[in-house]
Amino acid sequence: MASVKLTDVKKVYDNKVTAVHDFNLEIADKEFVVFVGPSGCGKSTTLRMIAGLEDISGGTVEIDGVVVNDLQPKDRDIAMVFQNYALYPHMTVYDNIAFSLRLKKMPEDQVYEKVTNAAEILGITEYLTRKPRALSGGQRQRVAIGRAMVRNAKVFLMDEPLSNLDAKLRNQMRAEIILLRQKLDTTFVYVTHDQTEAMTLGDRIVIMRDGIIEQVGTPTEVFEKPRNIFVAEFIGAPKMNLINTQLEVSGGKYYVSPFGARIEVSGEKGEELRQAGVAAQDVILGVRPEHMVLADANSEAAIPCTLEVNEMMGSELHLHVYTEDGTRLIVRVPTINLTLEQRKELVYGKKLYITFEGKVMHFFGKESNVNLIYG
Amino acid sequence: MSEQKLLEHNASPVQKRHMGLKASRTLSNTAIYVLLIAISIIWLVPFVCILLQSFRVESTWQVGYVIPQQWGLDNYYNLFKTDFPRWYTNTFISALVTAVLQTIIVLCMSYTLSRFRFKLRKPLMRLMLILGMFPGMLTMIILYRVLKDLGLTQANAVPGLILVYIASSGMGYYVSKGFFDTIPRSLDEAARVDGATRFQVLKKIILPLSKPIVIYTILTAFMGPWGDYVFAQYISFGTSSGMNVAVGLYRWLNKDQIAASYTMFCAGGVLVAIPVTVLFMCLQKYYVEGVTGGAVKG
Repeated sequence: MASVKLTDVKKVYDNKVTAVHDFNLEIADKEFVVFVGPSGCGKSTTLRMIAGLEDISGGTVEIDGVVVNDLQPKDRDIAMVFQNYALYPHMTVYDNIAFSLRLKKMPEDQVYEKVTNAAEILGITEYLTRKPRALSGGQRQRVAIGRAMVRNAKVFLMDEPLSNLDAKLRNQMRAEIILLRQKLDTTFVYVTHDQTEAMTLGDRIVIMRDGIIEQVGTPTEVFEKPRNIFVAEFIGAPKMNLINTQLEVSGGKYYVSPFGARIEVSGEKGEELRQAGVAAQDVILGVRPEHMVLADANSEAAIPCTLEVNEMMGSELHLHVYTEDGTRLIVRVPTINLTLEQRKELVYGKKLYITFEGKVMHFFGKESNVNLIYG
Repeated sequence: MSEQKLLEHNASPVQKRHMGLKASRTLSNTAIYVLLIAISIIWLVPFVCILLQSFRVESTWQVGYVIPQQWGLDNYYNLFKTDFPRWYTNTFISALVTAVLQTIIVLCMSYTLSRFRFKLRKPLMRLMLILGMFPGMLTMIILYRVLKDLGLTQANAVPGLILVYIASSGMGYYVSKGFFDTIPRSLDEAARVDGATRFQVLKKIILPLSKPIVIYTILTAFMGPWGDYVFAQYISFGTSSGMNVAVGLYRWLNKDQIAASYTMFCAGGVLVAIPVTVLFMCLQKYYVEGVTGGAVKG
């Protein structure tokens, strides 16, 4: 258990490509931090620098207050789970888990106790005598987690541990990682490209792009107060709808007029705009698909559009529509809100009216792409 | 029409194709076996001749027949009255020491070139590739001078020879480096995070996964000195106590000695073959494939 502190950490490869720019982050003791971002954003590189598997080109990495830049991985007291499991194929599951303990010259009876204990928690006791090749993907990943678990390391690093599993198993293992985290009660750094994993697992999420941190915050913060368009689009699925429009001020109230509709920015959002002193200007308006609703044609706030694709997700429909000027939007409609007749009508080419409330809008600067309130 | 032809005539097209496939497979297998048996007979004839002649008692000179008229171990017995045990020991020691040292050097070298990234890695590999293209014989004269100055020729030829054999052994890294490259790097990384040093990674992870290559390296490292003639001949330079078996035995084929020692030469040849044969038989079973199954998601 320990804190991790990264100060101005940089990674420059031999070919002068900078993978990570001045990365600053403090991870508290027992905190679960998730690095998330598209591939090539430097999240894995940063994790591997913490692990000591990549040289650090600049800045310092501290674990528990000690600068570890020049320490070998074995001296950093970390545990790591790899995306491809990296099990030792010539050893049984038992030997795989016991490997690090034996390197520490721990007495065999203690090794036995720790390994069987970990195996029990992970439900792999019956496979202890098998070799990795006789296990399924999920079982292998459990062994990899077990191998990291028995070490009682200061920091637990996980590099996309679930990406090689199928969707169902991934959901199951995600829940198990949450349970595991409660049992281990240690510092976790977790890398993923999947925003769902990031949202469900992390105490804090670090969203990265091109080696730069775009935003650090709790799942609620990054979801409700995205600092820029990149974060807004990356977090949440399906991604946020973006609409070019004008923000107008009239009589101390803010209005937007997307596609000819006129919607007042109501509630807290209006108040926040006032407090931030945002002036009338061209903006990119962000509205999440779940905040859009089907509307009455006569409403002042109704936006006319045409249905292109109707994705039936079970509990909800994802309606892909386009407006008169060709802007594509996605609307999430709970299935339960529609009658069977209404659902049958939702086919290609159907004319629809949609709208959204004033309190769920996000405003981004047209040039800067930065959130006008939280940026 | 024969019965077979009738059968084929009445068969459905699918069956027909099936039969054709089966028949052609049997045919090609037969052809392959016949060819292989013929080749192995050609291969075995000289060995069988040597073996039989080594047991011949009635004449030490070449005779016009293969099967001895009088069987016995006289030739083997006589061998031990000559310098043969000395040559044999010389060869065995130099081959054994070379096998051990060269294997260690080659495996460490291969691991380094496979896993470490340092500035001169590529130039070094290229340099060794180019150097490897020159025949080793070119170095013979200068090596002799150097070893003579060091006092490692003639009676002291064995340490000198070992030095020559292992000096360039690092250059034989290609095969094992190629094999190491196929072992996922994440295994190294996992082990290093688990607390292993680089050497422990090599010892506990890489080598157990590379058994076939380790065996191959040991075998080639042993075989080189075991069968060497040219360097051994030069460095021992006519001193019997510094010779290896190849050089020593060959001297018996001089025209003034051959009549008295031809069958003894054959017996010596049989004894030379024994350790290599045993080595191959023992190590053969380690040629297991597919040891990396299940390591990483593949």
